[in-house]
Amino acid sequence: MILRVLNLIVIAALVLAAAYVYRIKFDSTVQAARLAKIRNQVRHERDTIAALRAEWGELDNPIRIEALAKRLLRLKPIAPTQFDSLDHLPVRPPQSDSKDPIAAMIDNLQVSDTVTGSVAPTANQRSTPEPAASAARHPDRRQ
Amino acid sequence: MTALEQTASLLPAEPWRRRVVRSLLYGNGIDRATKARARVGLAIVAFALIYSVIAVRLVMFAAMHDSRTVHRVVSGDAIGTARPDILDRNGEVLGIDVRVPSLYGEPRRLIDVDEAVDDLTAVLPDLDRTELRERLSSKRGFVWLKRDITPEQQREIYRDGLPGIGFLDENKRVYPNGPLVAHLIGEVNIDNQGIAGMEKWLDMRGLAALHMAGLATDRLQKPVQLSVDIRVQQALRDELAAARAKFKALAAAGLVLNVRTGEVVALVSLPDYDPNDPREALDPSRINRMTTGVYEMGSTFKAFTVAMALDSGKVTLKSSFDARMPLHFGRFEIHDFEAQHRILTVPEIFTYSSNIGPARAAMAMGIDTHKAFLKKMGQLDRLRTELPESAEPIVPKHWGELNTITIAFGHGLSVAPLQAAMGVATLMNGGLLIRPTFLKRTRAQALALAKRVIKPETSLLMRYLMRLNVEKGTARKADVPGYYIGGKTGTADKVIKGRYSKTKVLTDFIAVLPADRPRYLLLIMLDEPKPLPETHGFRTSGWNAVPVGGRVVRRIAPLLGIEPRMDLPSADRLILASAQESR
Repeated sequence: MILRVLNLIVIAALVLAAAYVYRIKFDSTVQAARLAKIRNQVRHERDTIAALRAEWGELDNPIRIEALAKRLLRLKPIAPTQFDSLDHLPVRPPQSDSKDPIAAMIDNLQVSDTVTGSVAPTANQRSTPEPAASAARHPDRRQ
Repeated sequence: MTALEQTASLLPAEPWRRRVVRSLLYGNGIDRATKARARVGLAIVAFALIYSVIAVRLVMFAAMHDSRTVHRVVSGDAIGTARPDILDRNGEVLGIDVRVPSLYGEPRRLIDVDEAVDDLTAVLPDLDRTELRERLSSKRGFVWLKRDITPEQQREIYRDGLPGIGFLDENKRVYPNGPLVAHLIGEVNIDNQGIAGMEKWLDMRGLAALHMAGLATDRLQKPVQLSVDIRVQQALRDELAAARAKFKALAAAGLVLNVRTGEVVALVSLPDYDPNDPREALDPSRINRMTTGVYEMGSTFKAFTVAMALDSGKVTLKSSFDARMPLHFGRFEIHDFEAQHRILTVPEIFTYSSNIGPARAAMAMGIDTHKAFLKKMGQLDRLRTELPESAEPIVPKHWGELNTITIAFGHGLSVAPLQAAMGVATLMNGGLLIRPTFLKRTRAQALALAKRVIKPETSLLMRYLMRLNVEKGTARKADVPGYYIGGKTGTADKVIKGRYSKTKVLTDFIAVLPADRPRYLLLIMLDEPKPLPETHGFRTSGWNAVPVGGRVVRRIAPLLGIEPRMDLPSADRLILASAQESR
């Protein structure tokens, strides 16, 4: 009797184990197929990226860009005189809240006594505020 | 016999009929029960074996479950010929692999050759019919029919459904920049193997072995970053092309070298070719003149002579040499191009580009010293870089006094221009000989390779002379205000049929910028520039290579990050003063 029960239990365990193993195996096959598919996709994506990079490189080719720029743009190569460093920037003009900032700027202006090259030393400096004003706005440039 | 009889007698009695049947079937005296047990045992063993084989096979199948899928991926893939991408120093693509389908045939599996030939030539009209038939009729298992077909062609052939005709994705090398960096990266053959330039270097570095093993299939190989900057390359190439057209020169070549690291930032040799169409590369006029050609560099070599004299300590800037008369040696007479007919100091020798001065200086130093110095500067040995193409300098076999005299002013010794640039870079960078490279490298890596060959003070004086030559000497036309260029010109008579030609010259110009703290060296070389009305009939370097150099500097300096500095004092006050301070 006990032997029979034991046999039944063993048979049931066998069937269960077989079913379980089958499931694992099936799952792993599915996963493997998915993995292969994704690998293929990745490879394809990489190939596409490479093709696009090659194309971008071709469009970005300096020979082509220069020909286009010469034909379509009116820009010229930078001359050394067109460079300047940030510390040569003039100081920011004083800010005011008035409606007319330019008028306020002129009000704030203190005309200096410095004689600039554009004004003859003997001339009345107040009669020609223009160069003096520009000199005042660019204090760095006065030296 | 007796034993059997005994066992038989021990068995219980059987009915006689049965005994008769048994003796008829099995013979007398055989114990059936024992025999049956042995047979059952045998069956158990046999079945156990069979089942264990089945079990092992099952385990094997389970363990190597996806071996078939892996195989499928690889066989659909190309033969292992993937190459790493080649990038410029800013990461721009110079060479990249792209997948293209290729058509192949398996003649053994082909049913109707005529049908296949008809269908294929309908889609690919440029296929040769007789050759195609020949290939498909062969007994081989695999033949290439056409490499690199378009996806549309692939679709059409696929639709024909021919047995024994298939496609394989292959890697094809594409060079998006066309001829721009042709001489640097070289090219590959149809099987994606490097045959020139950096591509060949990649193969020599072990990629070929990977290809042989079929392992280089994946795209994840580390990209190779070169030292070249394609923006600088383009600026140089554009100006050289313009100069070549203007002066109707046979060839124009140039290079930009970082004197602190030895990196080649740009290298152009015109005429060049498109690496996407490698047939052009075979034309000998399209060689890389910077590494594969050797030339007498002319007066630029005087820089070495002067540096040697200054480095020895026997000569100072104040020393003078007699240039009142042409120098006589045997039946030879050495003249100055801009003859001053007076005693010249060292700076004057440099700026007037005197021949007599360096000749006398070299003679004073002696033949052996001269030879040893040039050897030290790397001018007498073949310069090997990553590029597989290199040329041996042409050094006189018997180096006599006359050789020293002519080599002192740049004739009689032919070197590769890259080699000369390396030497001048050494004179400029404080006296460190750094082998040029085409791969990106840092200052620290360069310093590990560097070798001190001249004193830093000599280098400082050479910078002064180079700057002085632009301020007052033969390289005046190269000056760009703000960049503080220094430079030395060179004009060499070309050797035609063993004699120096009177009309054909090779002009070159080596510039360094900025001269007070050199960072880059620029070399311009023109082969047989013709005189023009605007050059007043001159064909010397100062009228062609030098202005080209100035134009190139104007364009490349902003790209190289060199800040213009206006109103710098002259060389006497900026460089020479610091030289005296350091003493």
